[in-house]
Amino acid sequence: MYFTDLLKTSSRALRHAKMRSLLTILGIVIGIASVIVLVSIGKSAEALILDQVKGVGSNLIFVIPGATKGSRFASPPSVQGIIIKTLVKSDADALKRESTILNVAPEVRGQAKIVYENNDTSVTYTGTTEDFFQMRNFTVAEGFTFTRTDVDSLNRVAVLGSEIAHTLFGARNPVGKNVRLKNILFRVVGVLDKKGLGPFGVDQDNLVIIPLPIAQKQLLGIDHYNVINIQANDAYNIDFTKARVTSVLRQNHAITNPDKDDFTVRTQEDALSLLGNITSVLTLFLTSISCIALIVGGIGIMNIMLVSVVERTKEIGLRKALGATTRDILKQFLLEAVLLTTLGGIIGIVIGVLFVIGLYFILVNFSPTGWAFALPLSSVFIAFLVSTAIGILFGIYPARTAAAKSPIEALRYE
Amino acid sequence: MILLDAITKEYNDDGAVTHALRGISFEIKKGEFVAIMGASGSGKSTLLHILSFLDRPSRGDYFLDGKNINTLTDEELAATRNHTMGFVFQAFNLLGRSSVYENVELPLLYARVPSEQRKIMVEHAVLSVGLSEKMYAEAGKLSGGQKQRVAIARALVNNPSVIFADEPTGNLDSESGAHVMEILERLNNEEGHTVLLVTHETYTAEFANRILTLKDGQLESDIQVKVRRRSKEDFFK
Repeated sequence: MYFTDLLKTSSRALRHAKMRSLLTILGIVIGIASVIVLVSIGKSAEALILDQVKGVGSNLIFVIPGATKGSRFASPPSVQGIIIKTLVKSDADALKRESTILNVAPEVRGQAKIVYENNDTSVTYTGTTEDFFQMRNFTVAEGFTFTRTDVDSLNRVAVLGSEIAHTLFGARNPVGKNVRLKNILFRVVGVLDKKGLGPFGVDQDNLVIIPLPIAQKQLLGIDHYNVINIQANDAYNIDFTKARVTSVLRQNHAITNPDKDDFTVRTQEDALSLLGNITSVLTLFLTSISCIALIVGGIGIMNIMLVSVVERTKEIGLRKALGATTRDILKQFLLEAVLLTTLGGIIGIVIGVLFVIGLYFILVNFSPTGWAFALPLSSVFIAFLVSTAIGILFGIYPARTAAAKSPIEALRYE
Repeated sequence: MILLDAITKEYNDDGAVTHALRGISFEIKKGEFVAIMGASGSGKSTLLHILSFLDRPSRGDYFLDGKNINTLTDEELAATRNHTMGFVFQAFNLLGRSSVYENVELPLLYARVPSEQRKIMVEHAVLSVGLSEKMYAEAGKLSGGQKQRVAIARALVNNPSVIFADEPTGNLDSESGAHVMEILERLNNEEGHTVLLVTHETYTAEFANRILTLKDGQLESDIQVKVRRRSKEDFFK
């Protein structure tokens, strides 16, 4: 039989059982649509997280107190809440003298209640130096950021995140007003632009930034730092700068054996790599779930095709009596399965894409997280191929069953 | 054209052997109209299945146009069946949801006849059974007589040398049955098709010019019909 005639014959058989055909492909439709949606969500999440990491600044190196044991992705103890006091002012000063480094901004963090008139809220405050804003891409919507003079003169000034400003002041302009942080008065000098969530879900609008010495001496009573932010000189390779940072700190801490390091140096690339790994696992996990749906859909197809073969036993006998070979019958039933799954794949792709468009319309317009539409064409193409492959994989057994029928028994079948 | 030599067919059912045919031998010449008769269980359907390649004999030789079919593969048998044979079944065996055209076209699809030529052949076959006005009607919605005429059109569309008819009037009223027999008789008489008819009805068998009678899997008689029925009027005599 010519392929065009085979195609007509198979599609006619499916048209003659429209409702059954539609119900049969439902599993594939759902499976393929979920592949499209979940891959899109996975890819969007990946893009979003990577954007957030890049949005933190460029050419950044972070020094965290405490050594990291195990893999390069393991967390240093300080991140797990253990207080380690190994990073101090002499470290920051030594790093500032390095030619591979543009800026150094030590940072301490604490939690306190912030109060303005009758309004108050809990907040994470950051004590740092004036370079922090430029390094970490923080820009002001109102007023200014604080200056080196403010830092050196221990001025009690504060820059508010947009969310805190809104919580305490509503529509009023906070610049020039005084807020109370741990019962110490701070003059608001600026309000940051809205920035959204940072990497690892840190809310960058719900923070207060104050000069480093004030935070260390008056709010926290400590001499060490929680982190040293470093902006590398882009004239140098970032890994070289990272190596220089490590070398300077080892020298400063009189460490000769690298196993005795009491600090961890991380670049943005390390964070990107770590997050890339996490999102890849997430995408793989989501895709695996969809694959289960597809396998279930495929089994559904096989099931219905087997029922169809039994129901059409007499037709198979007739076709064989009229000259159809075993191969003709095999091809016809296999093509029916492939047509079903391919049609299911196309419908699934259309539904999946529409769902993704609707989902992103909602997320982009009603969510603060800055989601962006991401639908890799490769996933659509692969979904299409997978649906066809499922037709072949799960159609072969029913088709072989049909082709193996003896014409005599098939014609006698009632 | 057809030569059977000591054809035997046995079925083995859980160790119990059933002898459906026991050493059947006969020859059918081109252009003959042969009726195969016999009581239920006599082996006539088994014989028809072997003659039409739907089944293979357990023993014995079957020559079609001088070729021993035992030497042919299943694929070759299917191709030979497609080019040489036409089938008319008691239960019509049409694809009910397909049109008359699509049903009649079936053997030509497997013969890989190009679509333009196919159209001419289908129209000619449907015209010859008087169903042109029903060409695109759904086969399942036709009357019994019309269905059997569609089956005949399908049987003759590829211009086969032999038409096998298995109880073709069995599911029809007298009027439709007579019409079907008239068509088969015309195909034999005017167009030279060899017709092999399986029936248990003597008055249907008498449209043939030769009657083979089977009994318990053996050929009981092989007689020439002296007065063939030739028309609808004869059918009711």
